[in-house]
Amino acid sequence: MSRGTWLISRLLQMLPTFLLIGIAVFVLARLLPGNAVEAMLGERGTDEAVARLTARLGLDKSIFAQLMAFLEGVMSGRLGDSLAFRIPVTRLIGERLPVTMMLTGLAVAFALTAAVPLAFVAALNANRWPDLLIRGVFQVGLSSPIFYVGLVLLTVFAAWLRLFPVGGYGDTLGEHIYHLFLPAMTLGLSFAAIVMRNLRASILGVIHAEYVDFARAKGLRGSVVLLRHVMRNALIATVTLVGLEIGSLLGGAVITETVFAVPGVGRLMVDSIFARDYPVIQALTLVLAVFVSLAFLVTDIVQMWLDPRVGR
Amino acid sequence: MKRPPAPLLGGLTILGAMVAFAVAPGLFVPYDPLAFDFTALLAPPSWAHPFGADQFGRDLLSRSIAATAIDLQIALFATIFPGTLGTLIGLLVGWYGGIADAIFGRLVDLVVTFPFLVLVIAIVAILGPGLANMYIAVTIVGWVSYARLMRSEVMVQKNGEYVAACKVLGYSTPRILFRHILPNAIRPVLVYAVTAMALAILLGSSLGYLGLGAQPPEAEWGVLIADGKNFFTTAPWIALFPGTVIVIAGLGFSLTGDGLADLLEVKR
Amino acid sequence: MQRTNGLTRRAVMAMGAGLASFATLSAGGAGAATRGGKLIYARYADSLLLDPVWTDANVDIWVSSSIYETLLFPTDDGRDVKPGLASKWELSDAGKTITLTLRDGVKFSDGAAMKAADVKFSLDRARNPKNGAWADMVGSIDSIEIKEPSTVVLKLKHPDPTLLPALAMFNTGILPEGPYMATPGKDDEERYKAFAEHPIGTGPFMMTAWQRGQKMTFKRNPHYWATAADGQKLPLLDEIEFQIIPEDSTRLLKLKAGEIDGTEFVPFSRVKELQADSNLRMELWPSTKVVYVVLMCKDKLWNGSDNPLSNKKVRQALNYAVNKEAVIAITTLGLGKPLQSFMSSATPLNIMGGPLYPYNLAKAKALMAEAGFASGFEASVMMTAGNQDSTNNLTAIQQMWSQIGVRLKIEQLDNPTNTKRYRAEDFQMRHGGWTDDIADPSEITSYFAHFPNVHSLHSGWKNDKVSALYLASQEEVDPAKRKAQYKELQEIYIEEAPILFLFETPYPVVWRKNVTGFVQIPLGNNFFEKISK
Repeated sequence: MSRGTWLISRLLQMLPTFLLIGIAVFVLARLLPGNAVEAMLGERGTDEAVARLTARLGLDKSIFAQLMAFLEGVMSGRLGDSLAFRIPVTRLIGERLPVTMMLTGLAVAFALTAAVPLAFVAALNANRWPDLLIRGVFQVGLSSPIFYVGLVLLTVFAAWLRLFPVGGYGDTLGEHIYHLFLPAMTLGLSFAAIVMRNLRASILGVIHAEYVDFARAKGLRGSVVLLRHVMRNALIATVTLVGLEIGSLLGGAVITETVFAVPGVGRLMVDSIFARDYPVIQALTLVLAVFVSLAFLVTDIVQMWLDPRVGR
Repeated sequence: MKRPPAPLLGGLTILGAMVAFAVAPGLFVPYDPLAFDFTALLAPPSWAHPFGADQFGRDLLSRSIAATAIDLQIALFATIFPGTLGTLIGLLVGWYGGIADAIFGRLVDLVVTFPFLVLVIAIVAILGPGLANMYIAVTIVGWVSYARLMRSEVMVQKNGEYVAACKVLGYSTPRILFRHILPNAIRPVLVYAVTAMALAILLGSSLGYLGLGAQPPEAEWGVLIADGKNFFTTAPWIALFPGTVIVIAGLGFSLTGDGLADLLEVKR
Repeated sequence: MQRTNGLTRRAVMAMGAGLASFATLSAGGAGAATRGGKLIYARYADSLLLDPVWTDANVDIWVSSSIYETLLFPTDDGRDVKPGLASKWELSDAGKTITLTLRDGVKFSDGAAMKAADVKFSLDRARNPKNGAWADMVGSIDSIEIKEPSTVVLKLKHPDPTLLPALAMFNTGILPEGPYMATPGKDDEERYKAFAEHPIGTGPFMMTAWQRGQKMTFKRNPHYWATAADGQKLPLLDEIEFQIIPEDSTRLLKLKAGEIDGTEFVPFSRVKELQADSNLRMELWPSTKVVYVVLMCKDKLWNGSDNPLSNKKVRQALNYAVNKEAVIAITTLGLGKPLQSFMSSATPLNIMGGPLYPYNLAKAKALMAEAGFASGFEASVMMTAGNQDSTNNLTAIQQMWSQIGVRLKIEQLDNPTNTKRYRAEDFQMRHGGWTDDIADPSEITSYFAHFPNVHSLHSGWKNDKVSALYLASQEEVDPAKRKAQYKELQEIYIEEAPILFLFETPYPVVWRKNVTGFVQIPLGNNFFEKISK
């Protein structure tokens, strides 16, 4: 199979998954007890008022009709209006998606910046104090709940030391990075720990592998050997991890966005679940599913490119 | 097998202490963890209250200790249920392959493309908050990791010589699967399960933090932190100590998991 | 809006002093306030929709008065009405005709003058039963006539003492007919959504940008009609940016760091600390917020089992067994006040007969024994998950009721589940809170006590005498008689105790010290036009 046809078949394979996810999330959303109208009207919802608003929002149609309308809308690119905000879902998500992408991207960048060099230091000093210290610190990171880390970082670096803003997103790219610095550190911490640990193990494996000894015997300097052989393997491991962990990073984004008041899709998702805003839940799940699937695909492609043995 | 490494001993010590706190909290708590004390509202840490007291004057050391049982229960159940289900599915899918494997692949795609926490929140919202429903949610979502691990391990094992030998001897498939392949393939799953316990505690406390996990007045570490977050600048001890306790507990599980991995020589 | 003259400000201060002392609001007449600048105000949740009649939630109502104004305004103490877009009004024909004279010089934010036709259009829209949840509030209007260019006459089906307050309620906000009808859209459904994206009203501010869930920008309306006491044109600010920050602790951290100028819904546990901060000013505005636990009064619970709470003595015992002062101390750190009726003390016609069911364990035990529950029973209460105040209240109550043998199970449910369950009357007890939308006791009474509306907060409590008194009061134009009806109605309600009476709380709002001039009335509406920084 050529790479082109492989790519096309991979993309085609995704379509039924998205259809299934669409139906699954539609059903899941309708299984949630209560509905948007009751939640919106709350204590003041008389039966009359509830009935009126239900009809007004088109929720009085049969579930099957609603499902068909939803699927038809997805095919033609119309995802409906948010029940709570009464604006198109695409606009709502469009405003928020870049924020979460940026947060997740920065978190990965931070994690790699911290974990990659430290993994080398740890591996080259295996079982000596730098190794133990680095592993210990990351172990603690891996064991800390995101909301707790966020709370502590927020209090220390934003409230006491005033080094960073407490929350928000800002207006320019520079401001975005400045505002997302602490949230990205929080979100990236456990990912950094996972990368560090895997990378260290993989470097240790390579160092003891025969071809490195062979290269060394050929007279290449130690650091060059490391760079050439270790880097490639390290990269493959890291790329794989990014792909594997993207789902849990997005999950972590939910909590991070809540603690730091970052207006991303994670918080939108939770808010929409709590408001029973079906169109937003449905559309957002699909968007995230597409995003995660593409991340898997990119991971596979990069793996193939870095390591021809992984071809199909 | 090698000598048990130091991290493993450290991890086991922490877990041992947790089990002791969970089994016989009465031996360790200085106060009734649910009793109000209006003379100690928001009392800072002192000899009388080493972890301080909360807005009801409840002793936080006692509450942190009393919470151990619930968090340990979360760690165990949120691992055992999805672990057992996932292991069984992985075993069968790995053995039979074919259509089962294809369906499995689709299911895995479906589950992994949903963000884990969001899916758990949605399921808990459907079933209602509380620990039992949290376990159901975690099982529905969490079995995938175990099944994947088991499946790939079984696919390696089923080509092993001993399996061929079993077949020659005419053993039944269930016997081959459960008596021979399972014991050989389970090690990575077990190691993963121990690490997953740390993640389960983090998940349980995250749900508790959102008000969807353990219900008051039960003390759960995440709930304790949620209780304390509004006092974080004025009475930081309310959240700080339970937070530290979670970190230590998580450390206990991950050190044990790492230690076991080294000991059993499981590659991870 | 002409909202704070010296006298009413003092009245507000006096009421505030009863709750807690807060610093002088503004410099008053001492020198002109600074004009211009941008205010950043953090809210706990975003608005959803800025349309007067389709609005459902406090998050919309409380800021929409900066965009849409009403013919009458609620007074600052929330108990009465004062001139608004109508400069005067007259009742005639035994209360069945109301003649309103429109204020001169009122312009919409697009520069067009407000005309009587706009008023008729807006009120007709507000009373159309197909529109929104609030049409009943102005349901007594039979017809609306334009008499002169600036005179509008309302003919009523029957005398209605609640209509004047209703003309000061957000749902009767005035929109411009021309631009509204010119909004593209094939029906009102599409039109109201599109109009609400760029609303036009007569209020001091215009909404110019809105990223849902992130922030909303209000710019000063250059055509605004009102002036401050010192003759300055209002509003004083050029711009307000509302930032949405759901976490209480994050909002306060941002305030302390100076990233925002003010914020609402401060947790009571933080009030003392903020009062002590010399950079900040903590304001506690008198409110109509009441906190209570609804008790199911039906004989059987949803699952068919017997319900001990159907016995009045049990409900009274539960009330006596709760030490409200202690709950207030724990949850509000002493900032709440025990309820004196089901309605707040800022609601007109509250009987104000002193705290209800003073803590008395012996009496509670005796009542339980009389009701045949000497050894108590198991009970459950539901609340919205994650609400720290509800958790605190119920945890304290759980502890107190254990003294009379009531073993309380707390169920935390997410908001829609909680709502669904109580609408289905599938609960035994539920934690609740309420704020009035209108400067009249009729709204809260219809929900709490008048069975046909929502089964008395879905408790199933039915009292024909109370309903009769309520219905009579809805058409009673003699204030003294109406007061007597409300007195009797409240006395019956208190005696019957279909709720656990807890407490009322003020609205806690905190500002950077340099920000002055904010007003929040007991109904909750926020007024920003006199703010300067």
